[in-house]
Amino acid sequence: MSFIKQFRVKERVHILKDFFFEYIFTKQSIYAILISLVFSFFITQRSISQFSVTSTLKEASQISQMKGGIGGGAAQLLMGADASAGGAFNDFKLDMYSFALAQRMWNQGWGSKVYGNGDLNDEYFNKIPKRHRVSDRLAAFLMGYELYEYYSAYDLQSYIKSKIDPDKDRYSGTIDIKMIHSNKDFAIEFMNALILETDKYGKENLIQRSNEIIASTLKQLATSRNSSMASALSETINSEYFKIANLENDMPYHIDIVDPPHSSEYPVSPNVPAIFFASAVMFFFLSILFSFLLKNKEDLW
Amino acid sequence: MVNEYFHLTNYGGTLEFYLFELANFSVLACLVLIIYKLDFINVNSLIVWLCLFFSPLLFNYFIFSPYLFGDQFLYAAEIMSLKTTGESYEHTQASGSLLLGSNAINPVTLTAKILGIIPLPAYMTVSSLAFANKFILFLTFLWFKRFFNSENEVLLYFLIPSLVLYSSVGLRDTLVMVIATIFIINLIRGRFILPILLLYPMVILKIQMFAVLALYLAGHLIFQAHKTRNLFIFFICAIFAVVVIYQNTILEIVNLYRLAFVAENFIGPDGTISYEAWAKYGQEDQEALTLNSIPEVIFFAIINLPILLLIPMPWNWSNIFYPLQSIESLLLIYLYVKLTLENKLYKSYEFFLLTLMLIVGLSLYALIMANEGTFVRYRFTLYYPFLLGLLYISKHHQNNTDGANNEKLIYK
Repeated sequence: MSFIKQFRVKERVHILKDFFFEYIFTKQSIYAILISLVFSFFITQRSISQFSVTSTLKEASQISQMKGGIGGGAAQLLMGADASAGGAFNDFKLDMYSFALAQRMWNQGWGSKVYGNGDLNDEYFNKIPKRHRVSDRLAAFLMGYELYEYYSAYDLQSYIKSKIDPDKDRYSGTIDIKMIHSNKDFAIEFMNALILETDKYGKENLIQRSNEIIASTLKQLATSRNSSMASALSETINSEYFKIANLENDMPYHIDIVDPPHSSEYPVSPNVPAIFFASAVMFFFLSILFSFLLKNKEDLW
Repeated sequence: MVNEYFHLTNYGGTLEFYLFELANFSVLACLVLIIYKLDFINVNSLIVWLCLFFSPLLFNYFIFSPYLFGDQFLYAAEIMSLKTTGESYEHTQASGSLLLGSNAINPVTLTAKILGIIPLPAYMTVSSLAFANKFILFLTFLWFKRFFNSENEVLLYFLIPSLVLYSSVGLRDTLVMVIATIFIINLIRGRFILPILLLYPMVILKIQMFAVLALYLAGHLIFQAHKTRNLFIFFICAIFAVVVIYQNTILEIVNLYRLAFVAENFIGPDGTISYEAWAKYGQEDQEALTLNSIPEVIFFAIINLPILLLIPMPWNWSNIFYPLQSIESLLLIYLYVKLTLENKLYKSYEFFLLTLMLIVGLSLYALIMANEGTFVRYRFTLYYPFLLGLLYISKHHQNNTDGANNEKLIYK
């Protein structure tokens, strides 16, 4: 019994009751909740609904066949071929974030859709005026450098890097491409175009590379007198022709599309119930704190 | 309430971020007001803890980018995933432990499960777990201050800047420190069941700490090394004997961790980083980093120990936190020495055992030390529970000495 007495249970229950009636169960708390409703309403109104757009891809199986099976030692001797150690995902990501791809997307008019009114006339989208913050303008003025007047493919490259997040699951091996945007139709269209263009760009790069290997190998073959060397060079040429044949079709090369880009039905941000709940908790506490400070200021100071 | 699309939405620095985190602060602050009214804490603690509960709002996105402690996102994603789907976040599903095998629970998952018990209103952002950390730290304070007459003195130990910093981010270090503190204090008090139970979460959360604490438990429970000089010496001899017998295994483990930490921070000449870079370019360094014998291990530990205690060194200072951490590391050493000398703890074998374990733990870290920022954090996570242990011993020792003096007076 002395153990229970030590905790002064009765006394503390009494204090808790007092606390409840003194600070929580008050008119002020009701006002606080009402203010929180207004505040939450204000926050949700100023927030822009953001939708999640995702697409699931997987690394195309034909790459491993081609990398493992053919593309002989001669190619490596001549061009350092097959140097990409990070796999198809890394190649795909590098291509996606490259300026060359941003330039291709820009030429297709995506710059206009992102920064302008969507007009696909290149005279328009190459002259979309770029807005700068006052602080940036001031800094440029003070330091004596010039700010870019128009949007360019570099801006589109930054946009892609900041908005699109490709991520490979290390266990399942699937690649998730994620994007959050207020206009889900635009985001789906943009992501779709970006995925296909990235793959196409990768394919074109490889075709060009194979052509270069063939050209240089043919030169070597013309001068080679060693029969085993000639055989290795011929094998390389054959494999590069095989590669080109594989690449010159409409099938994706780096990736296979498992799920095409699709949007969440509801916006992922703002989370309206969470905003109302968090705001109510915050204002409720402010009401308690205010009463507490008023009634205990002597103790606190 | 949690964010259903946790892996996609980043509220970083927005109004919503501050709203959600202010709600978390409000709940904790309300709790501390009630605790104060119930007379569990004094007015100083009330004010200090209100400030400490507010501190997570000042670190992530305000003082520094949360990417400075990038693992926070993993913990945040894990807790949101567990709360929304009941399943682990895909990137943390791989588990495995050196001691528990491949089916062991992941440390990130365990941290998220433990911290997720804390009833906060909004697990919405990367900072939410920091409030859970603050809450468990507050509970530890309430428990720990019971052993002391001066609440204010204990409060000062909860104001150490590194503790404020690491408990203000969503990492598992606070949890490790709290478990280690409870473990050490209970062990010193001669209570063994709870420490034995606490070893299980510790082996998952931080295996290095587990090694030190398990050794401490063995020293206390089996060898009774805290009681007499002979038993203490016997314990040290036993450690040496075990080290010699199992030297190959010990060397293997030490080298594994040593290389792993170096590999994690390795930067390749082509811009590749971490294990990928190590796999390509680090093999040449492997031989030079490998320790081949126990004397070599001891030599390296002795050489690196002062460096570990003093990092970050002035020539490595790259932001404002580094000089502050350097000053703090000196102050922490000073505090340890001051407590020892003022309370004449060098007469107590409890103190010797505690200090031996601290040195063993720090030596382990000295052997595997690679990245400064990481090891400053690891060092503090190890040092702080031992410092609280020393504080407990110092007061307990003081009381015992006072008691003995009083008895002498009575006999006179």
